[in-house]
Amino acid sequence: MTIDGTTTQKSGIQSDGQSKLAKFGSAFVAQGFTMYPVLLLLVIVGAIVAPRFLSTTNLINILDQVSVLGLTTIGLTFVVLIGRLDLSLEGIVGFAPMLAAIMLVPAAAGGLGIQLPGWTGLVIALGTAGLIGWFNGFMVVKVGLNPFISTLGLLVLLRGGILIISKGRSIYSPGEALTYLGSASLFGLPVSVLLFVLVAVVVGVVFHFHSYGRALYAVGGNEEAARAAGINVDRIIWSAFIYAALLSGLAGVLMTGRLDSAVTTQGQGIIFSAFAAAVIGGVSLGGGRGTVIGVVSGVLLIGVINNLLTLADVPSFYVQASTGAVIIVAAVLTTLASRRSGSVKTRT
Amino acid sequence: MDSKRPIVEMRNIAKTFGSTRALRGVDFTVMPGEVHALLGRNGAGKSTLVSALSGFTPADTGTIRIADTTIEANGQNYAAAIRGVMAHVQQTPRLFDLLTVAENLFVENASVRNKFGFVSHKAMLTRAAQLLTEWNLDINPSALAGELGAGSRQLLEIMKALSRGVPVMILDEPTAALSNAEKRILFEHVKTLKARGVSFVYISHHLDEVFEVADTVTILRDGQVVKAREPVSNLDVETIANLMMGEKTSRSSREDHTNHQGQILLEANEIEIKGFPDSKVNIQVLPGEIVALAGPVGSGKEELALVLAGQTAAISGKITSTRANFPDMGFVPNDRHISGYVGILGIRENVSIGGLDRLSNTFGFISQREDSHVRRLVEQTNVIASSLDKPVSQLSGGNQQKVVFARSLCRDPDVIVALSPTRGVDVGAKEQLYALLRNLAREGRGVVVVSDEEDEIEQLANRVVIVFEGKIVDQLVGNYKMKDLILHMEGVA
Repeated sequence: MTIDGTTTQKSGIQSDGQSKLAKFGSAFVAQGFTMYPVLLLLVIVGAIVAPRFLSTTNLINILDQVSVLGLTTIGLTFVVLIGRLDLSLEGIVGFAPMLAAIMLVPAAAGGLGIQLPGWTGLVIALGTAGLIGWFNGFMVVKVGLNPFISTLGLLVLLRGGILIISKGRSIYSPGEALTYLGSASLFGLPVSVLLFVLVAVVVGVVFHFHSYGRALYAVGGNEEAARAAGINVDRIIWSAFIYAALLSGLAGVLMTGRLDSAVTTQGQGIIFSAFAAAVIGGVSLGGGRGTVIGVVSGVLLIGVINNLLTLADVPSFYVQASTGAVIIVAAVLTTLASRRSGSVKTRT
Repeated sequence: MDSKRPIVEMRNIAKTFGSTRALRGVDFTVMPGEVHALLGRNGAGKSTLVSALSGFTPADTGTIRIADTTIEANGQNYAAAIRGVMAHVQQTPRLFDLLTVAENLFVENASVRNKFGFVSHKAMLTRAAQLLTEWNLDINPSALAGELGAGSRQLLEIMKALSRGVPVMILDEPTAALSNAEKRILFEHVKTLKARGVSFVYISHHLDEVFEVADTVTILRDGQVVKAREPVSNLDVETIANLMMGEKTSRSSREDHTNHQGQILLEANEIEIKGFPDSKVNIQVLPGEIVALAGPVGSGKEELALVLAGQTAAISGKITSTRANFPDMGFVPNDRHISGYVGILGIRENVSIGGLDRLSNTFGFISQREDSHVRRLVEQTNVIASSLDKPVSQLSGGNQQKVVFARSLCRDPDVIVALSPTRGVDVGAKEQLYALLRNLAREGRGVVVVSDEEDEIEQLANRVVIVFEGKIVDQLVGNYKMKDLILHMEGVA
């Protein structure tokens, strides 16, 4: 800057003298770390309230339990980042593994009687999920339906579909190929946890460093601008629905593995927790804002709260209500944090 | 009432938008039963003045008296106070697309409501049908307004205003979307109402219309009155053009880098533009050439530019460019707030989405080159910001527009199509953008500019293409004068 009285503005990128602390603050919030101090606080409180909380077994147990919600929420984030939503993910969590299960088990165990070889289980589950995602994308992009109503319809349809194909009965022991991911352990950690971590890292890297991630944020931030910039907006929207469905299908497989059965009520209510986890993690429901780091914090927060309430012997009726209350408080915190850090208004 | 007493008296009206002083102490009076034409170039303050009169955008200071209502303007909304005496037909129709024609016509008309405030649909339909017959319009009163064509919509808007029976009416470029037959109907109604003592403030870019329908003329320039209440019979086209133009202020002037021997960068052959049947447009862009598409609102110049930029498809015809891929056109959209930038993302992201495939490696990951590439573009376009991560919504208008330009250059295009390239930016940034466009031309790129500002066109364009009703009706090439441009734009030369 010159001090000779003239207002010569030099072009280029110059620091505006914002304090280091303020910069750190906004980066902290922008990258999705807002909830980690809260999480840390909860862990400390937990350790004091329930000594069992900090045991390795319990911590792994928490991770194992949140992996299903985690994968679903990461899937949901694809769609929410582009300013849409997908309620049918909950249906996919139940439907995809159920369809695979009935194709594997003998008729006597409630199957269709075609008894496909075990290895096809995962292919069928993920293939089904992918197709459902493709259909969702088709309805939104080509038919032009509002995703709220089209995926709500599909959610109800899938829920009914589960009862139809299973004749209302759960399928037990659908075979190792389908249950391995949700039940086995590697290096002392459940495979489901490793899978969750792997997916989180891969998706996190894609969101941050890949041109596809860039396109997601651009479409969610301003669809018209993305279009004018030459991004194939329709393809981005469509593919986001497919990725969301695939991850939910994977989440469903994990759940089936953990229970060693495809249950008719599988996944019920998970979409609410997924939305809560996403919003707590700083994902804007208006699109264009959110990180995997944040999403993971939201998922962990919900997992830790559930676990703590159970360990503290809170009657189960109260667990659900308290979780809801905590979700509201956390969402308020996230919104306040993002409002303070950037002057941009977030539609959460 | 004394017929010598003006029905509208505006005193010392001022209005500022950001750093732009749109009106600087304007006086304006309208007598009862007069058609008063308000003339001036784009940006002279015509629309701002009539918007202040109707309260659509309240004036900052000044006094407004309409009939017996007096308002001391202080920037606060006063539209409600003068609703009963004033109707304002704006440049673009503001209809409720999901309501019927009849509902639109009587939406603010108390006469179809009973004493409890309920609307009688039967009465409304009958009266709407009557009105439509009176205007010789073959429109079903229960059709949805959104289904009508541009001309019918414009007429509907005018009818809605005229049927309210107010003493003062503002018509802001009412004929932009009208056919000649529709214009005739409009003028007849204006004359009939005038005979009944209704006053009109009439804005138009077509001087022939002004000579036909107006009694008095007031000319604005740079937010000030340069000719007040002159009878139209004392004026001719020459005088009006001179008054509108004024003295030349110091501005950068255009440069000609056109390479007439060079390979044609972009060529459109017999293209038909959507919304303009039987438009068969032929246009070429040469290296180093800055072409301006000019014409009145609704002339199809924006639509033509969008087709040239590859943003919308032509109904028919052929477009050839040096590069096969259309996204290789640089594109600066009309309204940056709507489709220019992604507000919550930083400058870096906003620039690089213009060429993600170019900036990423084989696997689609953004490469290291991004940073230097974005920095170079940001420097070229003179963006001033504290960091590349600054959200674009937090930048000033001029810097936002420069970011949009940087994005459009991300793929190193041969041709840049820029719509309203300097809309809503201050004078300094404007000149920087002009310099940028000239530099791009000097580098041998082709530039297509769509603009409503004659100054801008005159400062930039080596060739001005006048578009009207989706067709190219006129051209100005090479060393033209400002006056030629104004006369060609007003459609009388």
